[in-house]
Amino acid sequence: MDINLLKKLIKLVEGSGITDFSVQEGDLKVRISKNPDKSSHIYMQPSPNYGIYQTPPATQLADPGQSMTPAEAPAIQDQLKFYEVKSPIVGTFYRAPSPDADPYIQIGDSVSPGSVLCIVEAMKLMNEIECDATGKVVKILVENATPVEYNQPLFLIETV
Amino acid sequence: MFKKILIANRGEIALRVIRTCKELGIPTVAVYSEADRDSLHVVFADEAVCIGPPPSNQSYLKIPSILSAAQITGADAIHPGYGFLAENAEFSDICAESNIKFIGPSGDSIRRMGDKAFAKETMKKVGVPVVPGSEGVVRDVEEAKKIAADIGYPVMLKATAGGGGKGMRIVFEECEIEKAFQSAGNESNAAFGNADIYLEKYIQNPRHVEIQVIGDQFGNYYQYGERDCSIQRRHQKLIEESPSPFLTSEIREKMGNAALLGVKSVNYEGVGTVEFLVDKDHNFFFIEMNTRIQVEHPVTEMVRNIDLVKNQILVAAGRPIEDYPQEPRGHAIEFRINAEDPDNNFRPSPGKIEYLHFPGGFGIRIDSHIYNEYFIPPYYDSLIAKMIVWGTDRPHAIRRARRALEEFRLEGVKTTIPFHQKVLENENFIAGNFDTSFIDQHYK
Repeated sequence: MDINLLKKLIKLVEGSGITDFSVQEGDLKVRISKNPDKSSHIYMQPSPNYGIYQTPPATQLADPGQSMTPAEAPAIQDQLKFYEVKSPIVGTFYRAPSPDADPYIQIGDSVSPGSVLCIVEAMKLMNEIECDATGKVVKILVENATPVEYNQPLFLIETV
Repeated sequence: MFKKILIANRGEIALRVIRTCKELGIPTVAVYSEADRDSLHVVFADEAVCIGPPPSNQSYLKIPSILSAAQITGADAIHPGYGFLAENAEFSDICAESNIKFIGPSGDSIRRMGDKAFAKETMKKVGVPVVPGSEGVVRDVEEAKKIAADIGYPVMLKATAGGGGKGMRIVFEECEIEKAFQSAGNESNAAFGNADIYLEKYIQNPRHVEIQVIGDQFGNYYQYGERDCSIQRRHQKLIEESPSPFLTSEIREKMGNAALLGVKSVNYEGVGTVEFLVDKDHNFFFIEMNTRIQVEHPVTEMVRNIDLVKNQILVAAGRPIEDYPQEPRGHAIEFRINAEDPDNNFRPSPGKIEYLHFPGGFGIRIDSHIYNEYFIPPYYDSLIAKMIVWGTDRPHAIRRARRALEEFRLEGVKTTIPFHQKVLENENFIAGNFDTSFIDQHYK
């Protein structure tokens, strides 16, 4: 688990009504609990591989408070293994190479680096946007034939 | 009139253009790099498109990104501001080809007047006095040496695509010219993508006086008097004022007419500035023309009662201008507030503005994009605010400027404010007795 992901998790919990949250990835278990005064405490049980993290005093338990809803749980789980494909240019997003052709990909398709996902058209030039991760397309974030800006997220790929 | 204008710029000038567009009832599109996500021009515009990462060449200079942003928002005109693509002839042409009106002159006009070597030739042909020098671009060092020997040292090497002091070198002796030629070319290439150099006689201690002009689409040309921009450091202007304390009314009229002659001869459309050097004997020489709205345009606006950006947009839309030349009223001085440390060679001082309070009151105009706790990004130029002071005459403008700068609070970064305060106490400045060597002489 890398530090940026950890930072994202903390931010997510802090900004939400969740008071107690835990998640496990392989050998690493992370638990974040929030005091009524809004500060978060992080308890981690690292596997021997993650020696750089220290286990802080695991004394304080959060109030029962609001338990995590099913909707929120996946939202945080998402951050762990979903990769956003972003537009490298400004232009108009198209799902297919031409109006009457089939879309390049559908939800559920497997993709890998180099797979063409869509077209972003700029100045009459059709730019094929390639995936740079391996996994499964789980979400299409932009409607067909709508404008996109630089670094706008286009697809969510569930990575393997 | 245009349906929607995209402003291909950032910072204070983007705000300036957006404000006039709002007054004209024209919707606006801002473009921004990721470093400018929290910038005011993004907030003020009706729509905004992120066009790239922070570096200019991947965002504000990237023509496909800007044109694409215009396309997806349906903008039918682009205002280029100053700097960036404002004097890029290719960009003007590409806009025309894409059926988008570039608010500025045609690519051809830009090439002819914006290209400094050719501009000189054009002026010379219609009888406007020019500085002796090369006929166009200098091919190589050998040619430079020959011309310099003919007209006599000292000479100045200047980038043909240059501006803002970049790509310029003064050469006092022949032994220096080879190195100067190389470095001027490299600097110009890095800043403008063009390494062409031309050469002219270096006129010692001149005053830099420029004339504001407008040409409409009906063949009418107007001039709005001069701005004296002699307070410069390394050819970058720091203080500009109008009227010039040095010109007589006779010279003023001659220069105005010369500027009109020049723009007429090229059927110039849009706002522009014709720059001259004036020597101590009141001889004036054309040096270059800027085919864009300039940083210091507010000085003319305050003294001549004109919205230059408004008229620029009107002209581009094929309309007549609305603000005709009038007699100047009062005196205006602009102070460029840069995020620079004047005590350390004016080195850039980006970072977070911890506390900001602008001066106000009668006769103070602030053109700026900064706000309290704004983070000045390190990727762009250091101009963060312009303070333009208007007074009934020059001494009044100076008193008012002192008063205003005392009120000005800007903490967290270094600025040129203390520098301006020193200049306002300088007896030569107060007497109107200065030329382009002023800063070098008094404030290293």
